[in-house]
Amino acid sequence: MNAILNLLINGLSTGLLIFLLASGLTLIFGLMSVLNFAHGGFFVWGAFVWVWLFSATGNFFISVVGAIGIGMLIGFIFEKTLIRPVYGNHIRQLLVTLGGMLVLVELIRMIWGSNPIRAGLPVWLDGSIQLGGVVLIKYRLFVILVGLIIYGLIMLLLKKTKIGMIIRAGVDNREMVQALGINIKAVFSMVFILGAGIAALGGTLLAPYSGIIFADMGLQYAILAFIVVIIGGLGSVRGAALASIIVGLAGAFTAFYYPDLSLAVNMLLLIFVLLLRPKGLFGEKG
Amino acid sequence: MLAAKLNRIYGYSGVIILLLLLIFPFTNDSRSMLILLTQVFIFGIFAMSYDLLLGYTGIVSFGHCLFFGIGAYSTGLVLNTFATSISMFFLGICLGFLLATVVSYIIGMLSLRLQSHFYAMLTLGFSELFLVIAEKWRSVTHGGDGFTFRAPAFLQDRLFVYFFALASMVMIFILLRLFTNSSIGKVLRAISQNEARVQALGFTVLHYKVIASIVAGIIASYSGALYAITLRFVDPSVFSIEMTLDALLMTMIGGVGTLIGPILGSGVVEFLQHYLSQLGSQFPIFERWTLFLGLLYIVVILGFPKGIVGMFQELSKRDVKESKNYRKSA
Amino acid sequence: MLKVDNLETYIEQFHILQGVTFEVRKGMITVLFGRNGAGKTTTLRTIMGYYPIANGTVRYNDEVLNNLPTHLIARKGIGYVPEDQGIFPSLTVGETLVLAQREKNKETEEKLTWMLELFPDLKKFWQKRSGLLSGGQKQMLAIARAFINSDGLLLIDEPSKGLSPLMVEKLMEAILQMKEKTTILLVEQNYFMASEIGDYFYIMDDGKIVHGGLMDELKEDAELSMKYLGVS
Repeated sequence: MNAILNLLINGLSTGLLIFLLASGLTLIFGLMSVLNFAHGGFFVWGAFVWVWLFSATGNFFISVVGAIGIGMLIGFIFEKTLIRPVYGNHIRQLLVTLGGMLVLVELIRMIWGSNPIRAGLPVWLDGSIQLGGVVLIKYRLFVILVGLIIYGLIMLLLKKTKIGMIIRAGVDNREMVQALGINIKAVFSMVFILGAGIAALGGTLLAPYSGIIFADMGLQYAILAFIVVIIGGLGSVRGAALASIIVGLAGAFTAFYYPDLSLAVNMLLLIFVLLLRPKGLFGEKG
Repeated sequence: MLAAKLNRIYGYSGVIILLLLLIFPFTNDSRSMLILLTQVFIFGIFAMSYDLLLGYTGIVSFGHCLFFGIGAYSTGLVLNTFATSISMFFLGICLGFLLATVVSYIIGMLSLRLQSHFYAMLTLGFSELFLVIAEKWRSVTHGGDGFTFRAPAFLQDRLFVYFFALASMVMIFILLRLFTNSSIGKVLRAISQNEARVQALGFTVLHYKVIASIVAGIIASYSGALYAITLRFVDPSVFSIEMTLDALLMTMIGGVGTLIGPILGSGVVEFLQHYLSQLGSQFPIFERWTLFLGLLYIVVILGFPKGIVGMFQELSKRDVKESKNYRKSA
Repeated sequence: MLKVDNLETYIEQFHILQGVTFEVRKGMITVLFGRNGAGKTTTLRTIMGYYPIANGTVRYNDEVLNNLPTHLIARKGIGYVPEDQGIFPSLTVGETLVLAQREKNKETEEKLTWMLELFPDLKKFWQKRSGLLSGGQKQMLAIARAFINSDGLLLIDEPSKGLSPLMVEKLMEAILQMKEKTTILLVEQNYFMASEIGDYFYIMDDGKIVHGGLMDELKEDAELSMKYLGVS
């Protein structure tokens, strides 16, 4: 019982971390058909900036805000210099984001070195709590909480605000949004920067979670996020959330029961979805 | 007129470079240069196979190392497990071809009917999967440390391998030239320009794309086999994303959709890597040569989407136009 | 009001519009006829800025619109109803129409109210997701959206397409009523519908305007309507 509960929490927290990466990815794709391979770069930048700030200031919140800020700044520069110039050409966009990813990761190696770095944890999040005889790790619960809050905020933004309406309309039919006098490129820039910020937040949450961070982990999580986005349906935040949790739980349980299968299980899920429902669970687009 | 002339000049310079490469080993006894050039030939083959996908069919792969690695492991494992002989060498290559065909067929059928990023994703995912298999399935692959193996005697001679790689590259260049100019190749090029129209004309686009993916997979696996032979060592890094990036960089920098471009690109990238990492021992900033390659790659995509070869083509076109104008005004 | 002069458009290497010239007069319904592939939709899409203009000009209230991005063209007051209606399936009817208002003020509120009077179905299904509407309701939504968003000119691409005769009748009625508040450029294949409500007409063939004039003239010229429109 104890083990299963802990696996559930592990799976949920990993899943929600993936979701933080996938939510931006799926919206950027839905709006502009840009599959942003550099999204994992924002994530890993978030992690490194957080560790750097946290070791310098010791303040958890300042470090998180700083990391998100840097993530958004990189997203802003990225969108202006790399994505804009090849607007409308999907293949070149796909290729250029990969180049961007390469540069982001190399810059990390240049600044912080190639070796993995240890990530600390604020005292109040360290340790575990006992709940009816079950030992729960505090930080994982914290990750789940933050993940759910971000999911709620994104859904609120999409459902209840005008800009959210524009984003949903843009995912449905980009051309028609322009015909209503709305500058979709400006909306896209905004979503891109927001997505970069959320990805950076994901990175900051991951750093204490995994304990060590390294430059290549961006790609590992990005691959998971891609799988999630495809399973959930490109452009659907709800789908991404559900798929993230499925992938997180599947990963946690297989890692415990069949450790050798843990990466394969995601690929199998992906293949399964591609075979049965290439549009994904909630996808409108093929 | 001028274009034909220029083409002839390019043709001649190609032949001259080939001749120079043929006599090079006899005029220069730098061992490292010989190895570097062999490397250029092998990655030239790998990049050409990538070009068949990206340049001629409009398919983006982010896991092309998958096939490179399949070729490397097949050859290495067969030579290591069974006898060290020529027939085993060929058996290894054939095993690589077989596996590459099966894997590229499965990936292609799964993803090529969908938008382009699905293939990119699925190849990337599969290559990561194979990387993990190579690391974890120790009893067969010897895990993350890799393994050394003995190559047949004639393949231990650096000079022979140099010529073997050069000949392979030239042969594959010619074969791919024929393939891309064949009726299938013309359909592929039409697909890269306007897929919907080709479909509307009654071609089953999926089949043509899968064929391109299989041919590219087989050629990549061949280059992987050669790579393993030159090192006489295989480890999971053949499945790493850096391998795919190399092919992508070479193809883009040299000139996508040209076949000769990837070979040129292979030369540029390999020599840059070589010299930048040498510089790195004096100026630490050059240790991060990947950063410079990445920036170069971005500049190429944004500024010169047709690469080096494309730039030359533009130049000759402009010359033709100018000479026409000249004649008009005269 | 809208003057299109010698407009040329390429889609990829194809020369689709080969010098299109026509005029839309204020307060009138102008109908653009022509068989499939004549370039009617391309004309509307070029006006909206979806395709780059290779040659010629588009003027709206004496202002040249060439090379403006689509959203700025729309902000000049031109509303667009695309051939496929271009609805947003995941938005509700209400959300769509609120989005169309762009700014909430007295004028746009009045427009919204009027549209809901004209198309009561939209009021009834205010909470319904647009993707679940019937074909006719989608068309109403698209027209209402364009009207609320626009200020002076509506471009409507084949509203009768795929709808039942009864529904076509209803839409025509509505478009005729809207004429009092906006100028309309209507692309139509349905001669009988369009000739009933149109004031001016143009006929397109192979990327060019081949005829134009008062709708009444067209109705009397049996030979012309036979030749280009296949009606007798």
